[in-house]
Amino acid sequence: MGNGKQTILELDRIVKRYRTKGFFFGAHGQDVIALNEVFIKILRGEIFGLVGESGSGKTTAGRLIVRLEQPDQGKIYLDGRDITGLKGKASKDYSRRVQMIFQDPYQSLNPLLSVFDTISEPLIIHKIGNAEAREDSVWQAMKSVGLSPPHDFAHRYPHQLSGGQRQRVAIAHAMVLKPEFVVADEPTSMLDASMSAQIFNILLEMRRRLKVTFLFITHSLAAARYLCDRIAVMYKGNLMEIGPAEEVLRNPKHPYTQALMDALPKFVHSGGVKRYETLLQAEREVSGYVGCPFFVRCKVARAPKCSREKPPLKKLDDSHSVACFYAEPGIKTRSGGKA
Amino acid sequence: MALLEVEDLTIGYQSQRGFLKAVEGVSFSLDKGRSLGFVGESGCGKTTLGMALMRLLPPNGRIREGRILFDGQDLLEKTDEEMRQVRWQKMAMIFQTAMNALNPVHRVNDQIAEAILTHNPSLGKQVAYKQVEGLSRLVGLSKHRLRDYPHQYSGGMKQRAIIAMALACQPKLIIADEPTTALDVIVQDQILEEIKNIQKEFDISIIFISHDISIVADVSHDIGIMYAGQLVEYGAREEVFESPMHPYTKALLSSYPTLTGEKAQLMPIPGEAPDLIHPPSGCRFFDRCAGARASCRTNPLVWLEITPTHKVFCYQCGRQCGR
Repeated sequence: MGNGKQTILELDRIVKRYRTKGFFFGAHGQDVIALNEVFIKILRGEIFGLVGESGSGKTTAGRLIVRLEQPDQGKIYLDGRDITGLKGKASKDYSRRVQMIFQDPYQSLNPLLSVFDTISEPLIIHKIGNAEAREDSVWQAMKSVGLSPPHDFAHRYPHQLSGGQRQRVAIAHAMVLKPEFVVADEPTSMLDASMSAQIFNILLEMRRRLKVTFLFITHSLAAARYLCDRIAVMYKGNLMEIGPAEEVLRNPKHPYTQALMDALPKFVHSGGVKRYETLLQAEREVSGYVGCPFFVRCKVARAPKCSREKPPLKKLDDSHSVACFYAEPGIKTRSGGKA
Repeated sequence: MALLEVEDLTIGYQSQRGFLKAVEGVSFSLDKGRSLGFVGESGCGKTTLGMALMRLLPPNGRIREGRILFDGQDLLEKTDEEMRQVRWQKMAMIFQTAMNALNPVHRVNDQIAEAILTHNPSLGKQVAYKQVEGLSRLVGLSKHRLRDYPHQYSGGMKQRAIIAMALACQPKLIIADEPTTALDVIVQDQILEEIKNIQKEFDISIIFISHDISIVADVSHDIGIMYAGQLVEYGAREEVFESPMHPYTKALLSSYPTLTGEKAQLMPIPGEAPDLIHPPSGCRFFDRCAGARASCRTNPLVWLEITPTHKVFCYQCGRQCGR
């Protein structure tokens, strides 16, 4: 992506901890760090992918952006303005500009609202237009997500819709306010392949027509490649690798990204995919280390460097950065170092 | 002789609007030590098929026609009690939701031992628990975690425990219904490897059921593509993937994003699957098929053999081949 593009949203060294419950009395348990000093700049008009396994903190990042939760440290900027402390009208205004599409359309839609009511609800909350103008907006939103003819669907309830149709209603619900920024949290993980493809194409079309910026959260590398301009790979709340999607997936530099590539089903993805074998058979045993989060599973890692020090995100070139001591620009990461 | 032979199986559910044929006219056979994968979208009948093979359909489900020959015996003629003897001992299932298939109030080793002891009461507790340890080694579960409760396990560990349980009575056939759907990619890869190794080691036959064509391709020798309750293409995985014949198979393959090759535009399949209570006559993919002609509606469908190990259920494919 060009450097000339403007940043729309910035996560500035965000930290989010969750406190776990301890035993009966006294001290609470250990904190779980969901996001550890995550720094991401998302450019206007791009689709930015956040990739990782469950528990990597990608959904937490999305929830912080739409202000369902507050960060413990760090700031989030939209167009250069800090949004972490917004209140009242400013907060409402923000939620009009930034919307979210949730993972599970079976749970995110209100079963008591018809499709029409679901999609027009945001317009009513934000007092946009009169009844007639609202109706127009709803028809338009429904058409743009492929719920056509809209009159057929308007008076149905969620239980009368298939999973793919529900997710399209959820997208229309998010898009009807014409937001500038949309967080899409695994919008297709509950859907079949052909439904997913429809949803992907709807998102691409939205971006083309409405110039919306997307944060696309996914665990599927193939989906990230199809949709995203840039991706960031996360592991246990840490940013491991960030760069143009095609570049990162064709030439992954972080051992964790390489391990993800290795884990893809082999038969379909076999042609031309390199094997990296960077994952240890069994996890390395360590006590109270503070180093690289991937140290316990990484074949390339070397003690004591990797176990004592957390590798910073280092730039390999203009757009591609990796948090690994042993990643070199252009050269494959060392394989088979001893611990 | 084939271990499992299914002939012309039709299964349906009694619903308020009428009889819903979830599976219609499905035939296939599976040899010992081979694996077969069924792929299709939700609602295509693949889970119903798996449940019917185990005779575990819900109360409103019924097998209307067909035969299931397993190990030389007709499963549909067995009484419930006789079926209980076959189930788990000769034919086991790995269910879709690994997370919920374990009993939360019993220790994992007790649960696996129970499965062994129920079917072989003469074994005795000590032997059974010894076997549990052996099974846990086989599926990569640490011996020290066996006395834990399921909630202390991660998703991958639960799935391993379920696989250990399925193997407990050394079955000849395992039916795995979306065995890795809820798991992360790395764990999924490890579990699939584990299943493949076990299959080789014990010469077990496996039926994989999934909507994810890449997973099925990874583990199966043969693949059956299902659409709207019918099998539409069947063959060796190399042939089905490298030269798909049925328009639905082609559409399914091109709606799937890949990591290699050129980044191509994904082609979603337009429209929706037909109503299975009143299915249309002729080809069921008619409304969504780009190559359909009027004759597809009226002509009876027949299986067309492309090679001895690859066949397709499509009228147009037959015409194009000039047969």
